Amino acid sequence: MDDWLQTVLDDLAKSSACGYLPQQTAATEPSVLAALALNGHGRTEAAQAVLDYLARAQQTDGSVGVRATEATPGWPTSLAVIAWQLFAADQHQGRIARGMKWISGMHGETLERSPEMGHNTLLDGWPWAAGTHSWLEPTAFHLLAYRAVKQRSHPRAAEAVRLLIDRQLPDGGCNYGNTTVLGQTLRPHVQPTGIALLALAGESDPSGRMEKSLTWLKWSLGSRTTASSLSWALHGLHAHGREVPQAAELLRGAYQRVQSHDQSPHKFALLALAALGEQSPLIGITRMDTPA
Amino acid sequence: MSEQRKPEPFSTVPRLQLPNVNRRTLIVGGGLAAAGIVLASQIRELTRGRASVFVAKNQKYDGPLVQTMRDGLIACGLVPDQIKGKRILLKPNLVEPSRDAPHMTTHPAIILAAAEVFRTWGGDVIVGEGPGHVRDTEMALVESGVADALDSMHLPFSDLNYEEVVWTPNRGRASKLPGFFFPRSVAEADLVVSLPKMKTHHWVGVTAAMKNLYGVIPGIKYGWPKNVLHHNGIPETVFDINASLPQTIAIVDGIDCMEGDGPIMGTKKPMGLLVMGTSPTAVDATICRLMDVNPQQVPYLALAANRLGPLDKRLIDQRGEAWEPLQSTFQMLDKPHLRALVRHRGVLVS
Repeated sequence: MDDWLQTVLDDLAKSSACGYLPQQTAATEPSVLAALALNGHGRTEAAQAVLDYLARAQQTDGSVGVRATEATPGWPTSLAVIAWQLFAADQHQGRIARGMKWISGMHGETLERSPEMGHNTLLDGWPWAAGTHSWLEPTAFHLLAYRAVKQRSHPRAAEAVRLLIDRQLPDGGCNYGNTTVLGQTLRPHVQPTGIALLALAGESDPSGRMEKSLTWLKWSLGSRTTASSLSWALHGLHAHGREVPQAAELLRGAYQRVQSHDQSPHKFALLALAALGEQSPLIGITRMDTPA
Repeated sequence: MSEQRKPEPFSTVPRLQLPNVNRRTLIVGGGLAAAGIVLASQIRELTRGRASVFVAKNQKYDGPLVQTMRDGLIACGLVPDQIKGKRILLKPNLVEPSRDAPHMTTHPAIILAAAEVFRTWGGDVIVGEGPGHVRDTEMALVESGVADALDSMHLPFSDLNYEEVVWTPNRGRASKLPGFFFPRSVAEADLVVSLPKMKTHHWVGVTAAMKNLYGVIPGIKYGWPKNVLHHNGIPETVFDINASLPQTIAIVDGIDCMEGDGPIMGTKKPMGLLVMGTSPTAVDATICRLMDVNPQQVPYLALAANRLGPLDKRLIDQRGEAWEPLQSTFQMLDKPHLRALVRHRGVLVS
């Protein structure tokens, strides 16, 4: 194991329920990612603090907010469900069921089709915050939750797949969720592309755009790629069986940058997860429930 | 499937909800006094509905920006002694940075110059931004070149998308939102310095000092994009955010600007300008005139007129260069909602 990875895991193990930055109040997203990373590297016991955190954070409606102290918005509910399912599904059946009930009842606002917007605004996905449109990353996370609980055939999951394919840019890659606006094609970004491709692992896309996205994503990686984008990109590529020979070198470079700047537990957790390659539990989810 | 909703980028302004003009003016004036930063003469200016705006021409990113900013801010009434010991938050525009389009985002040299000005005056300076479209803020810093700039001056950075938040009542009440979650470093700042890029905007026409402050709203609560704001009306929420923030001033990067399909996909338009003032509304009105746009036609400026600051040129004391000789028409997208902003149809582009 690389030295940097050992250091990261030791630090995460000290406080797996963590914030986005050191000394911050614990937040759901970084805590779940830290727990998944620790679990993936065989440190299951150290991840227990996150399960305690999630149990406290779950609301009576089943949702889990962005921080234990902030019940809304509930977009991290998907991540909480994944953690419960992967760690101790038997113990947490009630929590998982309540979480999935909230997820299935949460919809993005659809919009009348307009020539101004290139994507299909009628497809039903998930918003970041209640009362707003569906966007790419929350839809991908919630699709992963359906796949984790082996409900890929659920109508909401099937429509999420259609939405994520619809939001691929014509030449590959994904924006945060638009494709063209007022006739102009928007720029692709590494992180949303990686997350969308991870959630779409095993799906087919006759239009060929998913393949273009994989090509674009692999091409876009380099020494300038930052920790969060790099980690999600590696997940997206590895989930589709694409090798990234320079992955170890890129991960080390990204770690050094985080270590010398904000020392974000969120980024450290992502890097540790990405270091698992195809063994990342997030990729494992997609292997368990790939449609025939 | 949920009920369909029509996009309303220019939804009707609920004017009855707007605060009384005189009361609003007093509220703002009171806020300034509480911050202890501005001159009593500025409060008198505000209560009379006046403001000063400084325009500097022939500016370059490798030029004497620090001196220009010092001169301009002092000319607009800022007193350096009152900055000492105060928490100063510099808010650049890093909405969706790309090395292929440096004219989209605030140039690092502008941030460094502003930091030097306020540090020299004794301020405790931090830089903060919550990029509107990208969740990986570190990527936004690297792509924009701002990461290296911050390192060069050991400037601390606050990621406003993920900071802990403080609830603040909506003091504008143009939208239905009862309040805003502001990141702690915003809520606790004595002075927020909006450091926008001078650009066209494909929904609201122009983006500069006021619209840039969408970037203080945390993505973790409002999303990427900050769609809660869009669904409550862009003009209304721009107005409300500006009405609810701590004391705010503006220094606009008008050196390499963007026209056409701004704020992301437009083309570069060199202007060589720095524009600044203690009233972001008056600064934005002047930016509009420099772009040959009628500020009254920009919906959020129409809302802010005489509530947050003046639009009328007779109420804006011009410092530095006069804007009239520097005016250069910016191209706008040829869309129905933008046609009212321009005088000549020839500047509309597809």
